[in-house]
Amino acid sequence: MAVLESSLAHIRGAWMAGRPAFEHCPPEWRGAIEGVDSECVLAALAGHAAAVLFRPAPTTPPAPRPLLPRLAPPILPEPLRPQARRLMATQKGKAPIERHFIDFLAARGYVLHPADWMPSPRDDWAPDAYAPWLDWIRGEEKPFPPPSFTLDAYERWSPAMRRAALATLRASDPGAARAILAAKASSEPAERRVLLIEILETGLCDQDAEFLEAQANDRSDRVQALASNYLARLGRRADADALTTELADRLEVRSSEAPGSRRQLAIDAMKNTAQNARRRDLFKLVSLAGLARALDLTEEEIVATAPAGAPGDVDAFVQMVAATGSHHACQMLLDQMLDDDALPLACARPLGSRLTSEAQRALQPRILQRDAAMFETTLTLMGRALGEAPLPALLASPGYAALMSAVEAARGEDEAQRRAADAILEAALSRLALLAAAPAAAALLARLTASGLSPADPRLDLLRLNAALTTEVVS
Amino acid sequence: MDLTRSAIEALAPDQSALAAASALLKPGKWPLRARSERLIWGECQGSGAHPYRVAADIEDRGSKCTCPSRKFPCKHALALMWMFVEDSAVFQAGDIPDWVQDWIGRRRKGASPPAVAGEDKSLDAAHPAPADSAPDPEAEARRKAASQKRADETRRSVHAATVDLDVWIADQLRTGLAGFLGAPGERCRRIAARLVDAKAGALASRIEEMPSRLLALPGEGRVEAAIAELGKLVLLTRAWRAGSGDSELRREVVNAETREEVLTDPAAPRVAALWEVLGERLATRRDGLVSQATWLLSLNQTTQRFALLLDFFPASAGRRGSAFIAGERFQAELAFYPARAPLRAVIVSREGAVDAPDPWPDPPADPFAEYAESLLTTPWLTETPLLLPEGRICADAAGRAWWAGQGLWAPLRDPPPPLALGASFECAAGVWDGARLCLLAARTNWGRLAFHGCS
Repeated sequence: MAVLESSLAHIRGAWMAGRPAFEHCPPEWRGAIEGVDSECVLAALAGHAAAVLFRPAPTTPPAPRPLLPRLAPPILPEPLRPQARRLMATQKGKAPIERHFIDFLAARGYVLHPADWMPSPRDDWAPDAYAPWLDWIRGEEKPFPPPSFTLDAYERWSPAMRRAALATLRASDPGAARAILAAKASSEPAERRVLLIEILETGLCDQDAEFLEAQANDRSDRVQALASNYLARLGRRADADALTTELADRLEVRSSEAPGSRRQLAIDAMKNTAQNARRRDLFKLVSLAGLARALDLTEEEIVATAPAGAPGDVDAFVQMVAATGSHHACQMLLDQMLDDDALPLACARPLGSRLTSEAQRALQPRILQRDAAMFETTLTLMGRALGEAPLPALLASPGYAALMSAVEAARGEDEAQRRAADAILEAALSRLALLAAAPAAAALLARLTASGLSPADPRLDLLRLNAALTTEVVS
Repeated sequence: MDLTRSAIEALAPDQSALAAASALLKPGKWPLRARSERLIWGECQGSGAHPYRVAADIEDRGSKCTCPSRKFPCKHALALMWMFVEDSAVFQAGDIPDWVQDWIGRRRKGASPPAVAGEDKSLDAAHPAPADSAPDPEAEARRKAASQKRADETRRSVHAATVDLDVWIADQLRTGLAGFLGAPGERCRRIAARLVDAKAGALASRIEEMPSRLLALPGEGRVEAAIAELGKLVLLTRAWRAGSGDSELRREVVNAETREEVLTDPAAPRVAALWEVLGERLATRRDGLVSQATWLLSLNQTTQRFALLLDFFPASAGRRGSAFIAGERFQAELAFYPARAPLRAVIVSREGAVDAPDPWPDPPADPFAEYAESLLTTPWLTETPLLLPEGRICADAAGRAWWAGQGLWAPLRDPPPPLALGASFECAAGVWDGARLCLLAARTNWGRLAFHGCS
């Protein structure tokens, strides 16, 4: 075989260069190819021999990857998988609901089948249930981790699994989680340190300050910024006086003479865009506590003022509060934004990440009541507490009223109105479906189809899946 | 708005569309007819290997068909609506399938097709008139003689073209394959044009597609593949000159038989079985046609049997919906184009999809040995389907993916989905071209896995 292989190599070499290859052919072939068209016949024989006698093989046989691990939660039931695939496919290029959809399924206790979706190596946002797949896809899986996560077992757990275990530990025993972080964080690369320190957000307390102060001098800018924000939330960050004063000079706290009226934090337009941009930058550099000191107010007093200004400026203020405000300050600000019709609720979206899931659930009816953005603000503020909204709260929302108007308009004669209504339905129906509890989803399906939407309308797919996930499969 | 006979008459673009629709009213042409509250859908066996999928909204009378007709509604949609008006009971109530859902999602909401005014159109007048009289024997004889003359001319012309092709192949070897591989498109296009002129259309298409097959390979494999391609052409042209009456060779060199010719050919083997759709491959060819290849595997047979449903349609006709869903199973009788190893087929009759748990047939221990065997009988074969035994997908240091079985290796044509690298394959099906494996589907520890491009 080696002789034939060598002959074939010589034949290939000859033909590459445009030389006759007859002299290189194996002796036993010569009788068959002598005569007219000998080179053509040799091509037929050489090609056939290569196909039949030789097989491609890797120079170094590659080893297979470990098998993809099974996840703890059940996979979405088989009958619902085609619907889920269709939903994810139709969302491509449109308003992205992929993350919300995955969060929604996780909230219901399910994960997707890996043939339908797998996290990419950069998908750190994926719910903790997917941690084994994140480790696998990054090639960082560890075989046979010990059953319980402890400081001693830290290295034997893979990175994403570790993070998920630490998050669970933080919820039940914050001190133990902090101790493991303090012992191990410095040995992790910066990207992972950030993810690990983020775990402290749950139950952030004064006992975390010492660890965070050490991290505030970390070599990574991202770690520094995160630790510094967490320290600010604890009231332990010292902002540069020059910055806080500069920001305070660009704001005004106005008092009204009218009885019962509140003080107002005026974020008035500056003289030019450069000054406006500088102020927005300052909101990122200064903490809420620092600004309060510069204005000679407390944190509570500053968030009790009604921020007034262009939506972009109010948004910058809210982002500052969300990043550096205490838990109490964030809740106060959100409360106030929910109560004050003059404040655009959409600006409150950054505060969603500061709410615990219990707070999200408790506030959901009020958020729905004030959400004028077709459930978009609610979806953002609810974070991962999806698929729980009861029917009455949904029916009472302005989003639902707008949705029903759109259903009506979509049946009308006016082409332009129909198109506008279809666009609203496209986005709003998905968001509504992600928010609704299963019985609410079933009831909404009935109402929407009775109002004129076709039962086969694919925009109802997510509502159908929501309703089926509990009523037909789980129960 | 109820669907009525007069509504269908108003919708029809012209009387000829109604006449064509009337020819499709036979139940045998419709393996599937179903309905939901306001939708009806069905599958109609047309002239190709794949059935056309037709759906209509009985309220707003919108419709969709996968056929390439420029008429709207096409004859298939008209026939579907016509059958529904005549007897809605033959439409079984069922869940709306994905392809109908997709159509509903994409169509302009509420857009009803306008009624087409103009000539008077009538369903009654559309029924085909009975044949007037018996055929004229003299005219029939003249037609046969003319046909024979044309066949003789084609044979002579193709014979000369194959000789021409041999000279061209010798020229490529003589002038160096380095030059050929530097500009394969230009060189192949010229000889392909000459072959088209000589009525060797199938051979011309094969040569026109050769550059894309070669250039898709890594550089180091192209010389060997070029020699294999040219060698197969030599074998094919010699086989043709040795016996040009062979229908398989005629299909490889001149053109394929029509569906009707296959159905009436007593030499075409017929197989009734439960078939699983392994996957579909769409490829746009250099001649502007899209080839739609659907691979089927029979399930209730002890030995493996694949079938290939192959159709071509112009790329300018736009994307056509898939005729089948990967993994779908149905009971059907197929008629195979006569061949040494029959593979290409058309559907004779088909029943609706079944939800059967039948396993795949046992794969051979060494499928590549079977491929080598098949090359002995059909040495011009470019690719063949394989059923692969237990294995894994591995990636080498360069990131190239391989299927790995018990001591067997095959490089994959396309990058596999991430899950494939973490799944253990109980068995897999793919198409092997001698250098690379295009996986279609696999049965894994995670269930059935479909591969990219094979949906």
